[in-house]
Amino acid sequence: MLNIRICVGTYCYITGGSDLIKIKDQIPEEIKNKVTFIGSACLGCDEEKETSKPPYAKVGDVLISECTEEKLLNEIYSQLGIER
Amino acid sequence: MLQETNKLFIEVGSYQHNKYGNLVCGDSVLMHKSIKENRTIAVMSDGLGSGVKANVLSTMTASMALNFRIRREPITRTAKTIMDTLPVDSVRNISYSTFTIVDIESDGNAKIVEYDNPSLILVRQNKIIKLDSKNTIIESKLSNTNSENRIIKLSDILLQKEDRLIFFSDGVTQSGIGNWNMPFGWGDEVNEFILDAIKDNIDISARELSRKIVKQSELNDILKPKDDTSCVVFYVREPRKLLICTGPPFTEENDKYLAEIVRDYGGKKIICGGTTSKIISRELNLDILIDLNNVVSPLPPSSKMKGIDLVTEGIITLGSLSSILEQGTPKNLDQKGPHWDMFRMILDADIIDLVAGTKINIAHQDPTLPVELEIRRNVVKKLASLLETKYMKTVNLKFI
Ligand code: FES
Repeated sequence: MLNIRICVGTYCYITGGSDLIKIKDQIPEEIKNKVTFIGSACLGCDEEKETSKPPYAKVGDVLISECTEEKLLNEIYSQLGIER
Repeated sequence: MLQETNKLFIEVGSYQHNKYGNLVCGDSVLMHKSIKENRTIAVMSDGLGSGVKANVLSTMTASMALNFRIRREPITRTAKTIMDTLPVDSVRNISYSTFTIVDIESDGNAKIVEYDNPSLILVRQNKIIKLDSKNTIIESKLSNTNSENRIIKLSDILLQKEDRLIFFSDGVTQSGIGNWNMPFGWGDEVNEFILDAIKDNIDISARELSRKIVKQSELNDILKPKDDTSCVVFYVREPRKLLICTGPPFTEENDKYLAEIVRDYGGKKIICGGTTSKIISRELNLDILIDLNNVVSPLPPSSKMKGIDLVTEGIITLGSLSSILEQGTPKNLDQKGPHWDMFRMILDADIIDLVAGTKINIAHQDPTLPVELEIRRNVVKKLASLLETKYMKTVNLKFI
């Protein structure tokens, strides 16, 4: 199982995180059983200071900044080693 | 940790019903809770007759009585001023409205002033205790007024835990007049009713008891009350406590302190904020679980943490909570979302300990953010004042 953490902290939520969590309901069939979605209270924007680029999500151990549905799916597919 | 208060907690609740067909109530009930002095005051006045005129008389009386009491004006002067100020009824040529004032200090000392309302009742250990009161005549400057009509009853008592003080307008005692089983109205039978209600539910809240009494009077009149009916109840009891922690402490050394406050708190606990919940999770070694399947409101979803009753996002949720609080208690209390969960927990609490961390979240200062985020300190201050003034909660606010 590949863990996908989506940040629902204030900063991410208002910069697009609220849309990101909808992905879990539209996830393609072929990867549906290979991933788990987990919410996160904050993935660490508070530590990055100046360079923060929300919203954040994490696929496995890889942190994705300015995360979009596109970016997230790409990372998931690449880590699962499946052609998209 | 947080300052423990062994002071008596006083819950006050009231309920009113208008005379059948009347839009305004001729009785007025006003309450005041001073947090600084830990003092609770309630006043009830019944204006002569019913309708708008009665309402004006009783409102004037109640607000004068309350404000004089807050400023600790001598009782006799208060009573005299009220009686001399009220406008004279042109039909009956008397100026008249009754009042009962109850003023309870932090140590449980209660001052009770009664003028022509049905006698106040003290219930202690499920018995009605007779108050030891003395009568005082309020002199009038007008020689033609009958001083027999100007007798007030004063009592001083020391309240104990689990005591209840109950008082009501004559709409209660006179309800049911003419019914075969109560030709002269409910009268003293109400005492039995009160004792039974407490026996049935030993923890019955002040609000609930006052409602029950008024509802029964309404039933006595077969749902068409012949007079305005009001009841006020004080209940001295163990307070229900609620802790709300929001925001990371100003310095990191205080993270541990915050966690200890949360761990050792005796009452319900809410953590409000992502960074804050991360701190607690780290310090107390507790997992945070966010259920993404349960997103029901426009707000970020709440999380679960062992031993914590509610974990939510911070500033947006607090903002929504404060708009709910501002609008006043709605009819429908079952609405969904973390802010509603919080609201319900707040309604159930008597003492609310608000612990607000003051560290600024750098990320929130981003000028390109699509939503303007309020400053935590301001939101928390606003919450505290709403809870105190509008919801009569005892609030302890602590910035760390
Ligand atoms: S709020 Fe999303 S990373 Fe901090």
